[in-house]
Parts: sequence; C-alpha cells; structure tokens
Amino acid sequence: MREFTHMQAYTVKEASQNAARGGMVIAGGTDLLGTLKDEILPVYPSLIIDLKTIDGLDKIEEEGDSLLIGSMAKLADVAADDKVKKHCQALSEACNRVASPTIRNMATLGGNICQMHRCWYFRTPDDRFHCSRKGGSTCPAYMGDNRYHSIFGVQNGCIAASSHDTAPALIALGATIITSNREVLAEGFFAANGYRSCILEDGEIVTHVRVPKCKKSVFEKFALRRSIDFPIVNCAAALGSGGTIQVVMGGVFPAPLRLTAAEKAVEKGITEASAAKAGDDAMADASALSGNGYKIEIARAMVKRTLLRLEGQKA
Amino acid sequence: MSGKVSRRDFLKAGGAGLAGVAFSALGIGSVLGSETEASGDGKNNVEELVYVCPVCGEKAENFDALQKHFKEKHAQLDAPASMALHINGADVEVYVEDHWTLRETLQRAVGLTGNAKEMCDRGGCGSCTVLIDGKPALACTTLAVECKGKKIETSEGIAADPKYRPLVEAYVKYDASQCGYCTPGQFTVAKYILTKYPNPTQEQIRTELSGNICRCGTYSRHVQAIQEAAKAIKGGNS
Repeated sequence: MREFTHMQAYTVKEASQNAARGGMVIAGGTDLLGTLKDEILPVYPSLIIDLKTIDGLDKIEEEGDSLLIGSMAKLADVAADDKVKKHCQALSEACNRVASPTIRNMATLGGNICQMHRCWYFRTPDDRFHCSRKGGSTCPAYMGDNRYHSIFGVQNGCIAASSHDTAPALIALGATIITSNREVLAEGFFAANGYRSCILEDGEIVTHVRVPKCKKSVFEKFALRRSIDFPIVNCAAALGSGGTIQVVMGGVFPAPLRLTAAEKAVEKGITEASAAKAGDDAMADASALSGNGYKIEIARAMVKRTLLRLEGQKA
Repeated sequence: MSGKVSRRDFLKAGGAGLAGVAFSALGIGSVLGSETEASGDGKNNVEELVYVCPVCGEKAENFDALQKHFKEKHAQLDAPASMALHINGADVEVYVEDHWTLRETLQRAVGLTGNAKEMCDRGGCGSCTVLIDGKPALACTTLAVECKGKKIETSEGIAADPKYRPLVEAYVKYDASQCGYCTPGQFTVAKYILTKYPNPTQEQIRTELSGNICRCGTYSRHVQAIQEAAKAIKGGNS
C-alpha cells in the first residue's frame, strides 16, 4: 500500500468532517484495504479515518417495533445475536453467509452495505480500465468477460452486479439506513454512484440501520464456493404486515432489485405452482449479456426456492 | 548484527531441503523447538523475535539495539513511529507506519514468518489468520495501528504454549501440512476451535476452517488432528 495518514475518530461529526475533506473511512477494512493495495481508484486517499473507535456504534438494540443496529456491529455478532435471529431472520442468515467466518469477525454491517462493486474491470489494479464509474466513457464489461454481470441492464452506465449479501435482506425487511445527516429507506439506498455502490455523498457516514421486526423472513444465496465467495445471485423474502410478501434479489443488477412481478405472483399464497410462476415472471424482463445467460436460470430457481422456504418456515 | 545464527535463520536456509524429512526424520523438536524448551518458563515464548531495520534490513536483538542502530546508521532519516503491540503474551515495541498491515508489521518489524508470510494479501485465502483478542482475523487486511492494546496471537506463540503441544503433535501425526503454506493460518484457527468447542464435531471444524484455503487438499486431516488434540488437551493438559 502507498502511504497514508491514519486517524482514529471519536465522534461521527469528527469522522464526517475529515471524510468531507477527502479522507476515506475504514470500518472492518476487508474491502477498503484491497482497493488501496490495488490502487483501483483514480485518486489515492491521503487520510484514512477509523470509525471503530467511535463509542457505541457497534450496539444491537431493541427499539419498539424495530431493531437498531450500529453500523460498526461485526457481521458475526449480528448473525449470532438472538434478537436478530428472532425478529429479522433473513438478516441473520445473510450475515452468516457473507464471505468466511474469519472475515465475518472483522467486517461490519455498515461496511457490507457500502462496499464497492466487484466488477473485475472496475477492480483491475492501477485504474487500467478507466471505466464509466471512474469518469471514463465506456464500460469494458459490455464487450468483455461479463459472466458475473447484470442481467437486468444498465444503471448509471454500469453493469456490475451488486454483491452485498445483507442488502437484499435489509430491503425485504423494509429497513432504514441512518446516515450522519439523513434517513433513507434501504430500497433507495443502493445505486452505482461514482466509485460508490450507494447514494452516500462525500463526508456522509452510515451510523445505524433500523430494521423493523418481521415474523417470517428468509435469505438464500448461490455462490461458486459456498465457504467464501461473493454471491452469483442472492435472494431475500419477507412477510410484511397484512400478508404482503417482499422479494428482493441481489447479484442481478448494480443495485439489489425488488421483484414486484414475483411478489404479485404469490399474492394469493405460496404454492409450488405460484412460486414457480413468481420465478418465471420475475425473469420475464431479464436480458442476458454475452456471457451470463446462466444467471437467469439460477435466479429463476432462486426466487422459487426462497419463496418455498418462506412458506415452509412457520412463524 | 550479532554473529550468532539464530535457529530461525538456520531453518530458513535449510528449510527447503529439509522440509520433506523434517517432520518424520528429525522429529518435531528440530522444527518447532523441543518440548522442554517450549515449556521452560510456562509462558508464551517470544524470544525468537528478530527486530529488523526498516531501512537496511539489519537485524537486532531487541528494540533498544534497533533504535541505536537507526540513530547511528540512518541519522539523516526520521525514525518511523513506534508503538507497543501485544504479541504472543509480551508487549513488543515495534517500528510501524500507518499504512502497514499487521502482516507486514509482524514480518518486517519483528521477523515472524509463520502467519506473516505473504499469500494472497487480499483476505481471500486465510493463510495469514492470527487471533486478535482471541478471535481469528486476517493479518493482511488489518492495519497494525488499529491493533493497539489488542492481544495478538500467532502460530509461533500457540506452538510454544505447552498447553497446545498436543495440537502440534497431532498436526505432525496426521501430516496436516503438506506444502505448509496455509498451515499457520489453519493452526491458529485450530486453536480458536479448541477454545470454543471442547469436543468439536467434524461439521464445526469444517465450518470454522472454511475461510482457510489449502491447495494441497489437506482438509480432512485438520479434522482428524483437531479432534485428537481436543481429547488430549481436555484429558491431561488443562
């Protein structure tokens, strides 16, 4: 890694002021340090701000009808927390499927939702592919190797696939992301936005995630190596109040995608047939690139499997 | 530099040639220190730390000697900042830069070579796994400056702890290291498994070790070795 200055922040304000002046914040570091080593960004930060030293940001608390989870809570702790297991099962399962046990001991919930995209052109060292995300004019994945990319088209000139495991779970559960200066619904939080994979602005820091309690919710993931890989496709489904069902899929678009067509197909209850129809309906608009047609088939099966598991899991 | 050749230097030089026969023909004593030596003072042993000058690579016996060397030989340079790291049961003063990872620091500043080898260096393989405050963490993706006041345990420290001698012996018995590159990482997680589960099942072991990748495919042997060590450690040592 090239040189930088490291500072420990003790308040969110201090961290956000320094981040606004061009510093980069570090939580678990499992994503950031890799990007710094490879120098994938056009600008190398001169200041790294440690958020783990801010007091109280790693707590998991009950707050009325929801859980308030600090952004610095470790994924392993979120996955193992009894409150999360009981009220937000999909989030617990999702945290438990991120990377490996060792990485889950280090990585944080806030870091997972803010991690950068895993497109290999975007992440080629030394900014060799100056792609549209870094201010370039083209997306090399269009005509290149796009086997892991989006099957639902472009967002802001990018066709990388979202790779946060916790994001579909948070959106399905109707979570709110609380940052240093606003509150945003998780559904509107994720987007290809410069080098970021979320709508955060310079100097803005995720402090908490508020997740409403939910009786039934599940998470499913498909990855090449079950033990450690990023998702090819992942899917979360949650039973909302009034019997509605939210289905959200990751790995198929630069942001996690709410599958309204699938939700409509299971409006009258989940059966083998309606779950299969939900998968077909959800994939009706999918369009494969040159190398990722197989993802549509996986996604189709994943929607069905997730919904059937949601039905099988008694409240 | 002192004229003495440390056992580490000897092993480094002879390691490649000896590796094939070391475990079986020479016994583990010559590789990891004899049992009596390891349990000499009952503490984790950090005697083998080698303080390495960040500028010229000159080795020193301790931090004071290194500081003295730096002042004499590199007077024109500002000495890097130093901080205390708690490594294998001892407070160790090390030169460290803000942008050094813990892996780099263990290797460059104090000459540890077990967990501190560079493998993927991106958090993908697990070979650099150390225990930070008792939990496995990747040394290659942890900044050293963020480890202040935290307990760091490496494979060297665990191997030197008499309590975990049965684990070392079980690893040798089942030949759980083949090329040996991933072994220090697997070994540190093995210790974590033993502290977490008194009688680890195959599934528990495989789950905990799922972030450690072995290209030789020794996975099943770790399960055997850890289960046997668990029995021995529970039976007589703790």
